[in-house]
Amino acid sequence: MRTADDRKSATEAELLVGQDGLVTVNLRGLLDTHTMGALWRALEEQLRPLIVTSLDVEASQLNFRGSGGLALIRYLKAGGFTPGAKVTVSGLNEELDQILRMVAAEDFESYRAQKRRPLSMAEEVGVSVRSLLRDLREQVAFLGRMSAELAAAIVHPGRLRWREVKRVCIAAGANALPIVSLLSFLVGLIIAFEGARPLAQFGAQIFIADMVGFGAVRELGPMMTAIMLAGRSGASFAAEIGTMKVNEELAALTTMGLDPLRFLAVQRVAAGILLTPMLTVYTMFTGVLGGSLVMMSLGFSWPVIYNEMAARVHLHDIGIGLGKSVVFGAIFSAVGCLRGFQTKEGPIAVGVSATRAVVTSIFLIILADTVFAGVGFILH
Amino acid sequence: MNANSDIAIVVKHLTASYGERQILQDVSFEVRRGEVFVIIGGSGSGKSTLLKHMIGLFAPLQGEVWIEGENIVAAQGDARMRLLRRFGVVYQSGALFGSMTVEENVRLQLEEFTDLPDVAKEYIALAKLKVVGLAEAAHRMPSELSGGMQKRAAIARALALDPLILFLDEPSAGLDPVTSAGLDALIKELSHYFGITFVIVTHELQSIYAIADRVIMLDAETRSVIAEGSPADLRDHTTNDSVRRFFKREAAPGQTIDAR
Repeated sequence: MRTADDRKSATEAELLVGQDGLVTVNLRGLLDTHTMGALWRALEEQLRPLIVTSLDVEASQLNFRGSGGLALIRYLKAGGFTPGAKVTVSGLNEELDQILRMVAAEDFESYRAQKRRPLSMAEEVGVSVRSLLRDLREQVAFLGRMSAELAAAIVHPGRLRWREVKRVCIAAGANALPIVSLLSFLVGLIIAFEGARPLAQFGAQIFIADMVGFGAVRELGPMMTAIMLAGRSGASFAAEIGTMKVNEELAALTTMGLDPLRFLAVQRVAAGILLTPMLTVYTMFTGVLGGSLVMMSLGFSWPVIYNEMAARVHLHDIGIGLGKSVVFGAIFSAVGCLRGFQTKEGPIAVGVSATRAVVTSIFLIILADTVFAGVGFILH
Repeated sequence: MNANSDIAIVVKHLTASYGERQILQDVSFEVRRGEVFVIIGGSGSGKSTLLKHMIGLFAPLQGEVWIEGENIVAAQGDARMRLLRRFGVVYQSGALFGSMTVEENVRLQLEEFTDLPDVAKEYIALAKLKVVGLAEAAHRMPSELSGGMQKRAAIARALALDPLILFLDEPSAGLDPVTSAGLDALIKELSHYFGITFVIVTHELQSIYAIADRVIMLDAETRSVIAEGSPADLRDHTTNDSVRRFFKREAAPGQTIDAR
């Protein structure tokens, strides 16, 4: 079928309506995927209202470019516009006729029947619950294995690949320093500004120092740092390991006798546990700095601010903040690795894993923080 | 150039490079309408690079690529978009969109570039899938298909707008001999029934004998075409060592431990 003909002839259908529901359609012009839409609609409009018992389609004056135009002939032949009518198609050359017969009306029926029906509400709920339970089981199993591996790493520190830990610390920690410190500095500023006006009504602006100091050391420092790291580094752990899984690198590690969890995840979690408290110290400092600058602009001198903070914020508060940050660091790095390992097949899988890593990490970090706050309140 | 001549593609004095590294040097050839034209060469000889320049993915350093009478190197805006729709490309990996079913992959261009009613698009998509033998897999996701099926689905997608030319990059890569032979048969059928011009990059010898009307061979050293003709011609009448080694599957000197 040589159909590379660029002639622009108008594509049209001429209808001859005879007696007893006999209709003849004469098709003319170039028929391809671009000209077919208009002709299709015109035929539908003209044929639908008629009561047709027998339809003759005369196609000898049609000029096909490619086989796309045959879709219309097939639809006519299947009685798409004239249900129940006997349809004959004439005027196609032998090659076109062969191509036409490649697809039969039954093919179309089975093709439609295969379409997936959407799940019912009950099925959706069932699928979700099952996947939630499966995920929970995997998380617990991963937590167990990771704890065992970390304990082993503490007993035999030489087994840890320290060069990899250092690389991750630099990529996930040191490189995050500017953005993390800028954000905590700005949050310190915001808290001080927001607190300044209501406290001024009671002449109590000096307590901004308590607010900023306490907030930065116990809550904002650890939490802000952990959430920033979850978004920045946890997602990148998931994407890195996920891409390795898609590229069969994890399979290669396994068959080389190397446990992917020990080889990849333990170093990342160790790095997460080490770097989060370090970054947290920094964010505590920059948060306090931001708040103090606002106070100085309100007329308080540095010794006054310092004394107020020192009277309220004790060493054990800093200890609690750092303790939390260790837990948060473990959470975001372990979740990042777990989501990486859970990556499925296909090109969108890595993106899905990165998103799940961030969502789960932030949820677990805030959940853990709530537990800390509750336990702290009860013990106090 | 006359669009209605027997020539589908003309590559004129094409020179291409990646950064400082020159890959192709003054490459010229023609592809006749309706033929299965195969580009062969060793690894690193620039076969895929040449293909990517022919389909307008990369801009050459120098030279022109005329497809159906239009220079794709110079074409801009709407003219370029029109030209792109006149040929289909099947990538080495299939490059099916993973978030869509096979049928949605095939329908994509129909949805974007035509005003056809839905049922017409369904009819066309089914016909294309039927031609490549995948009607049963229409509603599956690409990740649920085997490698050979993915290649077939990619061919069906490339056929959606009835292109005059199909470009295939390493169609038999990663396929078993039976699947690969099935793909060769499909290419021959498409060429026979639909008159499509094929430009295929491959180094699969059996596939070359089975499908190629004409072959050019690229060479990594000279960075240009070192042989042109039918597969049998090249196999039996060549005087060039590289061509002879390729068709006889001989190792080059220095590539075996014995030779060192």
